[in-house]
Amino acid sequence: MNIFLYFDKNTWIHRLDPRTKILGVLIVFGICLCFNHPLYMGAITLGIMMIAISAKALPNFWRLRFILVLLILFSSLLWPFFAKGQTLLWSWGPLQVSKESFLYGIAMGLRLATFVAAGLIFLSTTRNEELTNGLIRMGVPYPIAFALSTALRLVPTFAGAGATIIQAQVSRGLDLESGNIFSRVSKFIPQAVPLFIYAIRHTNLLAMALESKGFSPESKRTLYYEPQMHKRDYAALVFLLGIFGIFIYLRLGLGLGVVMAGRM
Amino acid sequence: MSIAISIEDLTFTYRESERPALQNIQGLIEDGTFIVVMGHGGAGKSSLCCTLNGLIPNFFRGKYQGRVLVKGEEVARHKVAEMSRIVGLVLQDFEAQLFSTNVELEMAFGPENHCLPRSEIERRIQRYLSFVGLEKMRQREPATLSGGQKQRLAIGSVLALEPKVLVMDEPTTDLDPQGREEVLSVAKSIREEGRLLLIVDHEPETAASADQVWLMREGRLIAKGSPAEILVEVSALESCGIKPPPMLELFNAMSWPGNPLTEEAAIAMIRKHNLTKRRELNLTSLSSDNGKGPSILEAEGLGYRYPVYHVEALRGIELRICEGEFIAILGQNGSGKTTLAKHFNGLLKPTSGRMLVRGRPTTNYSHRELARLVGYVFQNPDHQIFARTVQEEVGFSLKALGESPKTIEKRVAEALEVVGLQGYDQKAPFTLTRGERQRVAVASVLAAQPQVVILDEPTTGLDYRHQINMMEMLRRLNQHGHTVIIITHSMWVAAEYAERTILLKDGGILSDGPTRAVFADETRLAEGSLRPPSLVRLSNWLGTQALTVEQMVRELRGED
Repeated sequence: MNIFLYFDKNTWIHRLDPRTKILGVLIVFGICLCFNHPLYMGAITLGIMMIAISAKALPNFWRLRFILVLLILFSSLLWPFFAKGQTLLWSWGPLQVSKESFLYGIAMGLRLATFVAAGLIFLSTTRNEELTNGLIRMGVPYPIAFALSTALRLVPTFAGAGATIIQAQVSRGLDLESGNIFSRVSKFIPQAVPLFIYAIRHTNLLAMALESKGFSPESKRTLYYEPQMHKRDYAALVFLLGIFGIFIYLRLGLGLGVVMAGRM
Repeated sequence: MSIAISIEDLTFTYRESERPALQNIQGLIEDGTFIVVMGHGGAGKSSLCCTLNGLIPNFFRGKYQGRVLVKGEEVARHKVAEMSRIVGLVLQDFEAQLFSTNVELEMAFGPENHCLPRSEIERRIQRYLSFVGLEKMRQREPATLSGGQKQRLAIGSVLALEPKVLVMDEPTTDLDPQGREEVLSVAKSIREEGRLLLIVDHEPETAASADQVWLMREGRLIAKGSPAEILVEVSALESCGIKPPPMLELFNAMSWPGNPLTEEAAIAMIRKHNLTKRRELNLTSLSSDNGKGPSILEAEGLGYRYPVYHVEALRGIELRICEGEFIAILGQNGSGKTTLAKHFNGLLKPTSGRMLVRGRPTTNYSHRELARLVGYVFQNPDHQIFARTVQEEVGFSLKALGESPKTIEKRVAEALEVVGLQGYDQKAPFTLTRGERQRVAVASVLAAQPQVVILDEPTTGLDYRHQINMMEMLRRLNQHGHTVIIITHSMWVAAEYAERTILLKDGGILSDGPTRAVFADETRLAEGSLRPPSLVRLSNWLGTQALTVEQMVRELRGED
């Protein structure tokens, strides 16, 4: 099964420099923190979804639909109990839900989903190597950038091995369908131990292969996909920063987009 | 010609071990030669490869004595990354050595490390991608390539560094016959380019075209010389866990003159000396009834689509397997062998048609019930071994099936006896050799005493001696009434052991019948991109019934 998120397409987002995309995602995170009113937050979510559509990243959203829906649902349901507002809607003993906290919960759900969405767009449009190269050019030391991208790279490999291991153990009568939480934990061992050993063996072989191909973390290397900042990159960053600036002004200067004062 | 590699009295002991992995290795290799290294599992072949590019002693530490010089450079004094300019190393496991997200980046990785200018990297990508025949795959993700393509990419990515010496450690072991052919033809063109090529391989057929063959046993280099000198030493080959060339065995057993290594040479000699007459192969005498016992596995119009890609992996499979049969399932990677076998024990459920076990659809069984009827041994034993002791490992399925400790103990002892691992119960499975771990995996499935035992590639990664042990063990199981089904790439294993052969192609059955009949139809096999082993090809040419050297000797002497 392929659980890679990258789509090999050629949209304007794909063509952006990885550095622009990394910074862009960070700015979007900032933008998401500006408002806690669900209407304002919803507008931001909508904007991000438009970007997702133009990046042709929607299939990934479909694949992760359960996670996204759960995020929105859980924070909309749980936040209201922890934030305190003025207009009481419902109470039961110490539990209270106010109109403000209810709206705040929805906004938080949208915010979390938008965080994930921004990350998803990034991973759908950026090659692992581009991420590494972008980080290197941003001044991150090569060993760190390489470790990060290798970790991302190994997730699907290990997931594949994990699936095989589960099949092998189920064939031997391991019953994953029933049992209480304790017996389930004990069933975890026959899956986890072979996976750990596989991971150790695999990374060891990978290290051998890397060194044999002249890899050494300290020395300088050429980047075959040399990231290059174009006009469009600067334009995208200026645009995002502009929006961020305006939103900060709207929130701090005009006090708009707030259901709960004093909270992010 | 100048000396490219010089190994001077090399002895190496890994840090964790007491026994030296390499002992007093001496050798000189000239520029541009093609060397094949052979030996049993654990003979030190991989260790030898690692000493040539410095992984030993710089990556694997231990006690290192003697010297290895490559192109005048003392390997141990250089970092592996520096040696990569002179020596390229390709590993057996092609999955682990590819990690880029597309083919061109994989090719660029080495040159990037050497800090070459981008125009030069571009040139090398083009040059070596077309060299390994993957120029059309440039933007593909390596994970989507076939096994042979992956290994060719791994070779290309090493060649992109333009090393003078190329070392390949069992590059074809994990491949199907077509992938093997692909890799060997790349090896041939590397040779024609005049690079020094050193390959570790099990097949005497590869070694037949080498300039030099080195035989290793228990860390020592016991013989080296031309193929004509080395490959005729049948007893030396066997002592190194190598399958002797069957033609040679046949000629020796028949006391015919000559030492042919290939079937073509054998045919030429038979013609020249008029050693025996060709006859008409009589296939009608082969009983076509496969009705040994009651039928146990039945597929009715079985079709399967993978949920994510909607790829049709199996279509319209009609199959009946009876108790007590010994079956080999053959076919290229991606032909649906494993997908079909996973239906037999209910790991996969058909998307159309039905899969019946003892007349009941697999959809009506629980996994536990099926685990008692149909055992499945996965290809890699390391995908299932987890326990601290062999006893616990083998008893796992019984415990999961809820047997009493007393029964477990008894059955574990029985299963260990069947696989020939008596007295291993308290050992830690991880410390065993690959062959032994494979047997532990088989024992752990046998312990539940399933009627049907399915094995995915039971002989891959084992040397000849262990392959024979494994297959003899399966034959004994079969004689005790178990139905044995093997999925295999090894043609001679199928020829010598399976009574019935099922050949798959693109998710359908291409042919199904007694092994002799399936192997007699070479055109049909070629359609499935397979070729019978050399002895069977000779047998087809002669028109004999024989599938093994022994049978052929008996038949030609007229004892049958």
